[in-house]
Amino acid sequence: MSDCDRIQEWLGAWLDGELPQARSAEVKLHVEKCAACAAEKVRIQRLDAALKRALEARVSDAAFAPFWAGVRERIAQEKSPRQRVFDWMRRGVAFPRIAWGVPVAAVVLIALFSTIRPSGWFVPSNQASVESIDGHGFNVALLREAKTKTTVIWLFENQETEDENPVEPAASEQAF
Amino acid sequence: MELTERDLIRNCQKGDSAAYEELTAKYYRRVLMVILGIVHHREDAMEVAQETFYKGFRNIKSFQGGSSFYTWIYRIAVNLAIDFQRRQKRAVADSRENMDDVVVASESLGTDPYRELRDRELGERLLAAIDELTPDHKAVILMRAVEGLSYKEIGRIMGCSEGTVMSRLHYARKKLQEKLGPDL
Repeated sequence: MSDCDRIQEWLGAWLDGELPQARSAEVKLHVEKCAACAAEKVRIQRLDAALKRALEARVSDAAFAPFWAGVRERIAQEKSPRQRVFDWMRRGVAFPRIAWGVPVAAVVLIALFSTIRPSGWFVPSNQASVESIDGHGFNVALLREAKTKTTVIWLFENQETEDENPVEPAASEQAF
Repeated sequence: MELTERDLIRNCQKGDSAAYEELTAKYYRRVLMVILGIVHHREDAMEVAQETFYKGFRNIKSFQGGSSFYTWIYRIAVNLAIDFQRRQKRAVADSRENMDDVVVASESLGTDPYRELRDRELGERLLAAIDELTPDHKAVILMRAVEGLSYKEIGRIMGCSEGTVMSRLHYARKKLQEKLGPDL
């Protein structure tokens, strides 16, 4: 690489005042002596000036009032975070390709909530269920009391099947 | 008493939109110039510049004052313009004006029509040449040549080192000189 090639790599940064002092002095000295590098320096200056002039000319008639009106309109149209979430969901449903995502997400969430129950998440509640025992005319009722963790089991006769399948009087049992 | 920029920013952060209007008035042309250099099409540049100042208003509370306001707003502008340009490349041709009209307009203003025409033509060729650079190279040369930002400020806006700014700038200038040839 010749001296001129090396200097010309630094010319732009030198004109921008971004070179360290020692290198800056080296470039300055070279440009004062070398006609080719001096011409290159002028070309860079012309380029920067022409670019600035061209852009200034193109924005010189950009009035502030209509510009600000556009910004103000955007500010006025700003939606609340709640509205943005709603719009996002509505857009999702509007696109058929991702419409299935909504029920899938709902199912996944339900599955997650039914399996993961870290302590403190839910207020414990009582649970009750009634099951019938096929062919014997009996029903089983389960009551689980959440606070004391007590389970009560009742076994009782099904009234609807009593006439068809007479059985021994129902025994009642409690389990703790 | 005229408010300082710091006072204006503080007022904006309290929700004073008149203070933000004043800040916008101060910087909109400079921001528009840089955006125009990147996206090339004037209507698009206006849209991106308005979006820039809207985003600035929305996020003004997060402005800590670590850098100057214009560096902060430039960062938003350059990022939006680069994103826009990557998404949408428009033809350069439709922004060109008929050169005959320029001569007539210049004569009516009493300026040197030939010099004006030459400058105008060079400017148009320069803008067409700049459109062939990558968005990163464009942004760097515009921020330096038009705005005179330091390499450090450009690096902060672009999220790169000063050395990268220097090499991108050198490359961009070289490419533009090649495109314009002896006309420069």
